[in-house]
Amino acid sequence: MKKELLILAFAGALAACSRPAADTSKTIVVWEQEDAQVAPYIDSVFEAFKKLPENAGLEIIRTHYQTEDLRSQFQAASLAGVPPDLLLGPSDTAGLYAVSGFIVPLEGHFDFTRYNRPVVEAITLDGHAWGVPVSNGNHLLLFYNKKFVKAPPKTTDELFAFCAGPAKQLKLERCMAFDGGEPFWLMPWLGAFGGWPMDGKKPTLDTQPMRDAVNFYLDLKYEKQYVPMECDYNCMDSMFKEGKVAFIINGDWAISLYQKHFGKDFGLAVIPRLSRTGLYPSPMVSGKYFMISAGAKPEKLALLKRLLEFYTTRENQVKQYQALTRLPALKAAGAAPEITSDEVSRISLDQILKGRPMPMATEMRAVWDSARNYLGMATTRKLDVDTAVRKMQENTDKKIAEMNQ
Amino acid sequence: MNVLTSVAEVSWFILLVAAGVAALVGYLYSHFKFYARSWFFPVVLAVFPALALAVSGGLLGGYTLKLWLYFAVAEAVIAAFFRYAVKGRHTVPYLLLAPAFAGLALLLVYPFVFEIYLSFHDLKLTTIMMWKNTGELPFVGLDQFVKVFTTSPLSETTFWELLLRTLVWTFSNVFFHVLGGFILALMLNNQIRFKGLYRTLLVIPWAMPQVVAVLAMRGEFHFTNGFVNIAITKLIDKLPFLAALGLAPVQWLSDYPLLTCTLINIWLGIPFMMVVILGGLQSISSSYYDAADIDGASYFQKLRFITLPLVRPVMMPAVTLGTVWTFNNINVIYLVTGQAGGTEQADILVSALYKAAFTYNRYSYSAAFALVVFAMLFFFSVFYLKSFDAAKDER
Amino acid sequence: MKTKMTAAAKRRLVKSVLLHAGLLLFAAGCVYPLLRILSVSLRPGDKLVSTDLSLIPAGATLLSYSKLLGDTMFLRWLWNSLLITLATSFIGVSLASTAAYAFSRFRFPGKKAGMILLLSSQMIPAGMLILPLFLMIMKLKLMNTYLGMIIAYSVSSLPFSIWILKGYYDTIPRSLEEAALVDGTSQVGAFWRIILPLSTPALSIAFLFNFTTAWNEYLVARVVLFSSKQYTWTLGLFELQGQYITQWGMFAAGSMLVTIPVLCVFLYSSKWLISGLTLGSVKG
Repeated sequence: MKKELLILAFAGALAACSRPAADTSKTIVVWEQEDAQVAPYIDSVFEAFKKLPENAGLEIIRTHYQTEDLRSQFQAASLAGVPPDLLLGPSDTAGLYAVSGFIVPLEGHFDFTRYNRPVVEAITLDGHAWGVPVSNGNHLLLFYNKKFVKAPPKTTDELFAFCAGPAKQLKLERCMAFDGGEPFWLMPWLGAFGGWPMDGKKPTLDTQPMRDAVNFYLDLKYEKQYVPMECDYNCMDSMFKEGKVAFIINGDWAISLYQKHFGKDFGLAVIPRLSRTGLYPSPMVSGKYFMISAGAKPEKLALLKRLLEFYTTRENQVKQYQALTRLPALKAAGAAPEITSDEVSRISLDQILKGRPMPMATEMRAVWDSARNYLGMATTRKLDVDTAVRKMQENTDKKIAEMNQ
Repeated sequence: MNVLTSVAEVSWFILLVAAGVAALVGYLYSHFKFYARSWFFPVVLAVFPALALAVSGGLLGGYTLKLWLYFAVAEAVIAAFFRYAVKGRHTVPYLLLAPAFAGLALLLVYPFVFEIYLSFHDLKLTTIMMWKNTGELPFVGLDQFVKVFTTSPLSETTFWELLLRTLVWTFSNVFFHVLGGFILALMLNNQIRFKGLYRTLLVIPWAMPQVVAVLAMRGEFHFTNGFVNIAITKLIDKLPFLAALGLAPVQWLSDYPLLTCTLINIWLGIPFMMVVILGGLQSISSSYYDAADIDGASYFQKLRFITLPLVRPVMMPAVTLGTVWTFNNINVIYLVTGQAGGTEQADILVSALYKAAFTYNRYSYSAAFALVVFAMLFFFSVFYLKSFDAAKDER
Repeated sequence: MKTKMTAAAKRRLVKSVLLHAGLLLFAAGCVYPLLRILSVSLRPGDKLVSTDLSLIPAGATLLSYSKLLGDTMFLRWLWNSLLITLATSFIGVSLASTAAYAFSRFRFPGKKAGMILLLSSQMIPAGMLILPLFLMIMKLKLMNTYLGMIIAYSVSSLPFSIWILKGYYDTIPRSLEEAALVDGTSQVGAFWRIILPLSTPALSIAFLFNFTTAWNEYLVARVVLFSSKQYTWTLGLFELQGQYITQWGMFAAGSMLVTIPVLCVFLYSSKWLISGLTLGSVKG
């Protein structure tokens, strides 16, 4: 009978392990994929919200994921019926969640006219707004090292003149650095040549502007040799920090880090106007958004709404700018003197105005994937530009068809 | 305080696992032992379904009659199997194996069934919503499997080219793992000083967290700042005639991404093989070598006729599993080419499969793809083991 | 005093010099990347790559280490990992050593099928298991607990452990056990007193394998654990990695620190891996 006792003990133990579910109406679960230095700021806002008298006993659980993990975990959790209440992330995966029914449209709950139009546009799909913007930007800018560059170039001609002359005398390894393999860095130039990767939900890649933009890359890399041969994000970042290049094109997320690293040598400018077309490069603009999961309990919606409104008050938006150098999404906060008086934010805002909203459609995934592959083939001269661009378009169309058939 | 509670918690978990193992063994033992008794059927049918209900009810939060009925039917089948088929034979080996296989079943049966279900249906971006809301998916039969062979998740490379590339990747990796591991193990198996130190230093690639190890090695292949190209440049400076032969710094990551991945993966995998082979060498009695010495055998003869055949039983599982792992391992490829241009040139079957699943959300297609990969590996290993057995019988 | 070396002694000397030279070369290749990581962890400014090849970078600082230990729960994460890993290795090796005995010493129907079944458990691409695993963990209410992870880890290392132990048991002559059985020892006693002590090399391989696999595991941990207090170091360290910005200094510092326990385990267990009770003396 000893074994029966054991079995009983085991059964009892297992039963004891299954705890009753806790009261979840006072708990908000938030998943995010922010860079690590952002977490303290998020927590401080949550703390302040919990301190409000009407929120006694509220608990907010924040869990960090890497970008890819957040997507797969949120999908799995949504399918399993246990998603978090809120998601804080960029707009590029929001299309996927919206199409899958994992997040809910919010236009009835929030007044979106209070936020900047482009940042709302970047989270709008099929006429619905899918997230509450908390910051505006995620756009590329030109950073320079004041030790080498006195006045930032206004046009690409000025930039190249610097690269051909002073940069050579300074014995820099290269003149400027950017992540040439990532199509995200190609988009500003594509815009400056008069193109854009998506027209509505239709990819428009096999175009003259795209061919011009890729040729422009090749010219920089092989003919002029102003940019490094083979350089990804970490490589360009190190080169700039170590003073091996004078310029870098990087996102607004890097502003505060470069400010800290370079001190008085930190320089920021809009990406110079393309002399050949006279147009300004147009980086993709989006932002960070709170999305409300479709699994959030309806009785909790009012609470979530209050939290998000609290997170994007004018005061908190200004605070967020001071802590993270991220531009506010709220129109009212954009006019605050703390922000308008600062040169860095003026430049960053200027660049945003020259940018275009990042398309939210799920078709964009196919564009990124194909563009990355064929841009790589073209810039390493494995394919000529015309063929690469043609195949880029063909393959994107094919993948979209497979995805949606 | 925290430290103590976590120790208590983990010890409790170990006890739980041990209790689970004991329960399983007890359950099977009663079937092995009492299968012939007249009270066997009534007693087991009364006791075990009720217990199972108690456990699963506690877990799933519901004690339903239906659940009990399922358990009763299952128990009846199991009991009948023990009474009429097993008849108490082979008690010891089955009891020894039961916990391991029960654990594997617990972990893998559900995912496997899940993948099979997906592969015959159509779960993708446009049907996720339907699945989430209704729990149902359109049935498409073998469509997904046909697509696996006819369409490719990549743009330039077909399924068959990808398969060939995967085979080359797998075999070159495993071959050099074994070769490198063997050489190092033989060197370490001598009477030399600092043996322990060497051994520890040599396992560093295995001991380091893989992400960091790979990123560090990736840095060494950087065009301007990597060790490899710097060494090449220095070499050309010293020996100019090499440049005439076409030796020059290489854009490793964009021109030869798969080669770079292979080199890094070889570096990563050698220490594991070395440790396994080193362990295997310990099983060889020195008397064989003594006898061979008396016969005047050369070093290579001893290697060929004593070491190799005798180390094989220990090495074989590592080689078989190493092949399976390498075939499915995309960590290195993902980390090395994740951001470089021309990513598709380094894709193998499994990384292409992940692209279909995670970039394009074609879950059913990728489930079918995963099952095809599974089938290929399965037939490979059955074939390989058969040939291994045949080789053993010859001797 | 010069003594004339015999030819044999000379050969031994040459051999030993060659061996040391070869081993040193390989060891350098293994240590070098670790030193690069060390220099990343000492380098100010979170730079993963650098044009600077010197191992102790200019302006070297221990700031990353102090930030890692002071600002994050890194020690807690290490401790969690250590507990899970030890529990896993213990359970994994015990189950494998007995199961392998069954495969090695008994004939029973389904033996070959069982061996292949073990192998086939490793053949499904791991990434495809995330979704079903998540659903399963949910249903069994194992979210945020170590029990599920311990079971998953010990089970997933079983196939290799069982295979390697079976291979090793096969090389131990049956005559040894038979002699013991004649002397009146039970089957269990023979296994415990003869097979296990003779198999220390294979047992330590299995242990090392269990240990490193569980120590570095990421996928299952990511699915199971939600609260940072319970994280293993893999999850904790990846918290430092954002979409674009990664705190490479702290990341590298963490990597150095997590490598140390594994190296200690290797250093200790290699004693068993090599010497143990060599079969040679018994086989005779």
